[in-house]
This record gives sequence, structure tokens and C-alpha cells, in this order.
Amino acid sequence: MTLLSVLKPGERGRIVKIAAKGPLKRRLMDMGILVGEEVRMEKIAPLGDPLEIRVKNYNLSFRKKEAEEITVEALQ
Amino acid sequence: MTIATTSKVGKKTITVAVSGNPNSGKSTLINGIAGTRLQVGNWPGVTVDKKEALLEYGDKAIRLVDLPGTYSLSPYSQEEVIARDYLIREKPDVIIDVVDSTNLERNLYLAVQLLELDIPVVIALNMHDEAEKKGYKIDTKPVEEMLGARVVPTVATRNEGTRELLEAVAEIAEDPLKHRPRTLSYGDDIETAAATLETRIRKDYPAFAEQYPLRWLALKILEEDNLILGETGLRESLAGEALHHLKKAHSEDMESVMADARYALASGLTREVLKVPEIRKAELTEKIDKIVLNRFLAMPIFLASMWLVFKLAFDTSKPFVDWIDLVTTGPLKRWAEAIAAITHSPAWLSSLTTDGVIGGVGFVLAFVPVIFAMMFFITFLEGSGYMARAAFVMDRAMHKMGLHGKSFIPMLLGFGCNVPAIYATRTLENTKDKVLTSLVIPLMSCGARLPVYVLFVGAFFSTHAGTAIWSMYVLGIAIAVLMGVIFKKTLFKGESPIFIMELPPYRMPTAQSLLIHTWEKGRHFLIKAGTYIFAVSILVWFLLNLPWGVADKKDSLLGRGGQIVAPLLAPLGFGNWEAASSLITGVVAKEIVVGTMGEIYTKKAEEAQKEPPPPLSEDLREICFSFFTATKNAVVNVFSTFKIVSLAAEEDPEGGNLRSRIRAAFTPLSGYSFMVFVLLYTPCIVTAIAFRHEFGTWKWFGVACAYQTVLAWLVSFVIYQGGKLMGLGG
Repeated sequence: MTLLSVLKPGERGRIVKIAAKGPLKRRLMDMGILVGEEVRMEKIAPLGDPLEIRVKNYNLSFRKKEAEEITVEALQ
Repeated sequence: MTIATTSKVGKKTITVAVSGNPNSGKSTLINGIAGTRLQVGNWPGVTVDKKEALLEYGDKAIRLVDLPGTYSLSPYSQEEVIARDYLIREKPDVIIDVVDSTNLERNLYLAVQLLELDIPVVIALNMHDEAEKKGYKIDTKPVEEMLGARVVPTVATRNEGTRELLEAVAEIAEDPLKHRPRTLSYGDDIETAAATLETRIRKDYPAFAEQYPLRWLALKILEEDNLILGETGLRESLAGEALHHLKKAHSEDMESVMADARYALASGLTREVLKVPEIRKAELTEKIDKIVLNRFLAMPIFLASMWLVFKLAFDTSKPFVDWIDLVTTGPLKRWAEAIAAITHSPAWLSSLTTDGVIGGVGFVLAFVPVIFAMMFFITFLEGSGYMARAAFVMDRAMHKMGLHGKSFIPMLLGFGCNVPAIYATRTLENTKDKVLTSLVIPLMSCGARLPVYVLFVGAFFSTHAGTAIWSMYVLGIAIAVLMGVIFKKTLFKGESPIFIMELPPYRMPTAQSLLIHTWEKGRHFLIKAGTYIFAVSILVWFLLNLPWGVADKKDSLLGRGGQIVAPLLAPLGFGNWEAASSLITGVVAKEIVVGTMGEIYTKKAEEAQKEPPPPLSEDLREICFSFFTATKNAVVNVFSTFKIVSLAAEEDPEGGNLRSRIRAAFTPLSGYSFMVFVLLYTPCIVTAIAFRHEFGTWKWFGVACAYQTVLAWLVSFVIYQGGKLMGLGG
């Protein structure tokens, strides 16, 4: 179990927990960040933040702070 | 269900709400269907565009209402609230849901929510061609059966499927009851709780059962939607025992349970109808992003493309600005003078028409090419998908100042002209981000301030001209960073807006979309802003020329105003009425500072020998000819953009005279202090109109105006007094 924020580009994980609350959680869920969903870290922006991940067959970007709210189990 | 209303011409009007995810091609689809019949306005009280079109369709009229692009109908973002309020309150006859076929699951998540509203839905399966190219196969029949909605494949960029879309709408309007959407089951426990709620509401609150789609209301109460709970005062505990079971079964909050259930439906449906090829090819977007978002290349590519856009926008518009200037100051003025002479108009009327009215018109028109060019490029950046990448690359740096990644481009445009820069903040979704960005944009030193710097630098710092001018730009940026941080901690204290952004695939925007958006902005500016600016330039004429016949500008209204203001400016090193009067007119547009100084300091050389005015035909020929030259230059500039340009400013032949006057009236220190003041003090009147336009209130312009004037005074004070202390001479 690790935080989504520590995945390296190319690494995959399955979401096990979303710690965010309120509007942030709803927004994440609306965008397809759901428990059980598989995600892949795509890129980290040149200045180190935000991140780009692939989820539900599309690309989504959010900041590290948001990614720290999401726990994943690493997938091979 | 409302009964379709009857329009003036006696035709049945079908109201159709067009909904869909951002980047689903919704705009392109609407532009394709409605073309020039599209009316753009604002949703009441907010800064979100509202587009509508009335179409004739056989014996019916179809009114299309474009809802803001949303991913969901949750109660958090302004766009989502607008969309759902419209759907609930106005109860359109049909909803068209534009769905991106290449991203079916996430798009169907919105569709599932739309179906809850009990309004017939037509799904436009858009970008069908792209999906096919990827090897996707979508079976539309099961979608139609499972959802009880019509499905029409469309390719908005080629206007394919739009006729079928309208056909489906017309057919549904014939018999809406037959096309009611299916009720999708969210699972036994949710259904039981919802059913209990529905019964209770119908029995105890019949008014709500009338007002809202009943099942939707029950589901919203279950998920503790704060907007609906607030509106109705109902609580989810109304579901009683069923809710208890539901909460026990899921250890999550109800909102998440519902989002999960809806996504489960969307995924199930997607699995059922979508066949994707076994091997996924690397897509073009991925290939491009490998380079464009590469760790080391991303920044240089971004900066280079921004420089290019900036140069292109200003270089292509400049010849047209010059042309407008030429026509309004040349032939138009001459004609007005000729007419005045023929009609024996009094001198004041002649001056009012030539200097006031025609000058005002020219001033308004001069902004139009810049706004057109800028909006064209902004629309291109947005439509192509690069805007999202730009935000991705810049977000870290911008976030430090309390801004959003997307704030960068509007701020950059500010160096050209603050007006389109304020308009460009429209790309920011969040109002907070938009306001904060707009508040710092005026600190970006726009092109109109350059002539002031050039004049003063020419007078005092000609040996270090480049450095002196650049120092103004750097100062502006530094203060913008500082103000960003201050605003973030004061005006916008609290949580920073969430940054969650889709990186859509790269796509080529259609020419039609580009032109419609560009045209809309330009037209809007001309009509709305034009009237205000025009009125203000007339006012300035009065200030300069009243009381009529003043020999000394010192006695004009403006000069008297300058005398009143001057003492306030004394601690800054330029407490004379001449400087103060120039700053007053500079509120209209900062380059006017130079013009006013010219008029005040250098007694206008006796009216240049009047040449006999050229005949009308020659004037007309000149207007046309110079327009072609302008067009040619614009095209040439597109290519010459690639050459390195210097910041050298043109020398004005009359400048020498003015420069020596400036040398007499200012010291190098007070001159620099004046330059800083011009950089920082209140945004010009045109920027004010853009503020008003974007935010629907004068409030934020008021804030900008107040803080900048105070800031300008303070910084100039520190520079002048500090400089004097350091012995730089007063």
C-alpha cells in the first residue's frame, strides 16, 4: 500500500482508499477515481507538480497534494 | 413534462437542452447545427457563456440551449449548478447529451445522471470517426434498449449526423411519453431506500413531488446533496429503516455510494456495448506528449510556443490597427471637416466631431484587430488541447502565487494588451482563479505603456535605454508575484481551488468553431465596450476643451483638475499640473499620457500648412489600398515573426522637442518615479470595461483600481524619496 503520489511514471496501482472529503472527493469520484479502479502514473510536470495519471482510458491531471489523499496497492 | 409552447409563427417550439462533458465536441456540434443563428449571452448573474439558437425544422421550431460542459451534475461547480438548475426549473422537452465515443465510460456517467431527470434523452455518439479509427466498435442498439434513449452517431467536425439528431428530437417531441427514459436500477438497497422516500414525499410533500422529478429528488436526498437539502428542507432520514440498512451495508458516505453506483452502471453498459481491439496502438496524443511534456523539453517548448503566439497575435493585428488609425485620422477627419465647413458649423461643433467623435470611434476600433487576433489564438490553444498542457507545465510556478496553471497565458497576453488578457481569463473555470488572475493582469506592462517609457528613457537614460525599459517589465512582474501572494492570503483566504484537469487528446479545431468564437468576442466588444469607451473619449474632449476657447491648457477643466491633483504627487517628484493632467487622461489609455504631454508642453507648432484636401475618390482609393497593404503586412509579419526582433522603439520626429521639455520639467529620478507610476496606477478605462464585462459587476475593477493607485503612489514614493536619500538628486 502506498500513496498514489509516490508512484513513478509507468507504475500502476489499484485504488484502495480515498481519504479526501467533501467537494474534493466528489470531484475525484466524478472523474472516475473510485475504489477498485486501476490507475497508471503517466508523467510528472517538469517543475515537479502536478501529476498526470491514466484512469478509465483517459488522462487526468491533479496536484501531488490531491494524490496524497489516494491510497493504492501497487500492481505489477 | 411540459407541453411544447407555441411560437409566434404558430409553430410548435421544442426546447432542447444540449449537455455533455467538456472536450466532447459539444461546441463544435452546436456551431455546426446553428451556425450564425447562435446567440451568445451570459447565464444570469454569472460569467459563464449561454448559447442559444432557434431553428426551423419542418412544421416545428427547435430552440437549442447549450448547457455548460460538465462531467457530472454534482452541486459543487458553478457550471454544474447552472446545468442542473436549468434542467430542473425550465424542464426542456428533450436533452441532447453529447458523448465522446472514445471515452465512453466517463461520458456515460453524466448520461446516467441525465436519465434520472425523466426527460427524453438523445445521445449524440460524437467523434464516431475517431473511435472507429482506434478500432472501437460500439453497438448502439443495446444502448438504446438499456437506457430508453435514442442514440445517434455523429461527427461534429464534419457536421455528420446532425440532421439525424434533429430528426430524433422532432420524433420524440411528437410523443414524449413513449420516449421516457428507462429507470436504471442502482441495486436493491438503494432502490428500496429511494422507493420509501418517493412514497413519503408523495404523501407528505405533494408540492415537491410536483416541482421535482420524484425519483431524482429521492436519489438526491439519499446522497445528501446539500443544494437539494437546502432547497427543500427534507432530510435523508425520511427513508427510515431502508436508509439504516443501506448505511450498514456500505461503510462509505452516501455521496460516494451513489457515485459508485452510477459509475457501476456506466462501466457495465460500456463493457456490454464497446469492443476495443486487443492490442492498443500508441496514440498520436501520446507520441506528441512524449515530446511536448518531456521533463527537459516541456519548458522550452512551452515558452517558445507562447512567444510565437504572442508575436503572431500582435504582429498580425498591428497593420490593421495602423490602418484604422490612418483612416480615422486621415480621410474620415477630412470629410468631417469638409462637412463642417459646408454647413458652417461653429468651431466647437467641428472640433467635437473631428477630435471627439471620430477620435473616439478610431480609438474603439483600434482595439478590435487585437481582440480578434488574441481570441483566435486562445480559441485555437483551447480547442487543440494545448491549453491544458500549458496549465500542466506552468501550474507549480503559478500555484506558488496563488494562481492556476491556466492563469499564465492570460497574464502573458497582458504584456500585449490588458484588455484581451482579461477576456482570456474565461478559460479559467473557477471564479476565484479568474478574479485573482484579472487583478494582477494590469501589472503586466502592456504595449500602451511603452511610449511613455520610450519618451522618458530617451530623455534621461539613453545610454542604458534597454535596461531602463526592461526594469519596468521586471518590476511589474515582481509586484504581480507579490500581490498574488498577498491576495491569496487576504481576499481569498481559505482553501485554494481544486486543480483536477483532464488532458484531452490533441485535436484540430474546426475553422468554423474558431471563426464563430473569435467573431463573437470581437462583436461583443464592439457593441458593449464600444459605447462606453466612446462616451469616455467624448468626455475627455470636453475636459480638454472646456471652457471653450481656453488659450492656456492650464485653464481647461483638465488643467484645473491637474492643479488639484498635483500636490498629492509632489512627494513622488512630479507635483506639477502638467504631469498630473497627463496622468488623468492616461486613465483612458496609458499611451495618451504622451499625447497630452505633447499638447501641454510643446505649444503645437502653428497649424501645418494646409494642403488642399484630396478629392473623395482619392481618399476612397487610399482607404482600400492601405487596407490591402495592411493585410499584406499582416501576412508578411506571420513569417517575419520568426526573425529576432529588437525592442527598439520608433523615433518620433517631434519627440526631440518634447524630450528637451521633459528634461527641463523632470529630473532623472523624478522621471523614473513617473515611469513607475504610469506602470502601476489604475488600469485604463478599456480594461475597466473588460472587467465589468467578465464579472458582471464593477466590484473587481474597483478593487484593482484602488489597490493599484495606492501601490503606484507607495512604490513611486519609495523610489523617489529613497533615491533622494541615497543622493541621486531630486
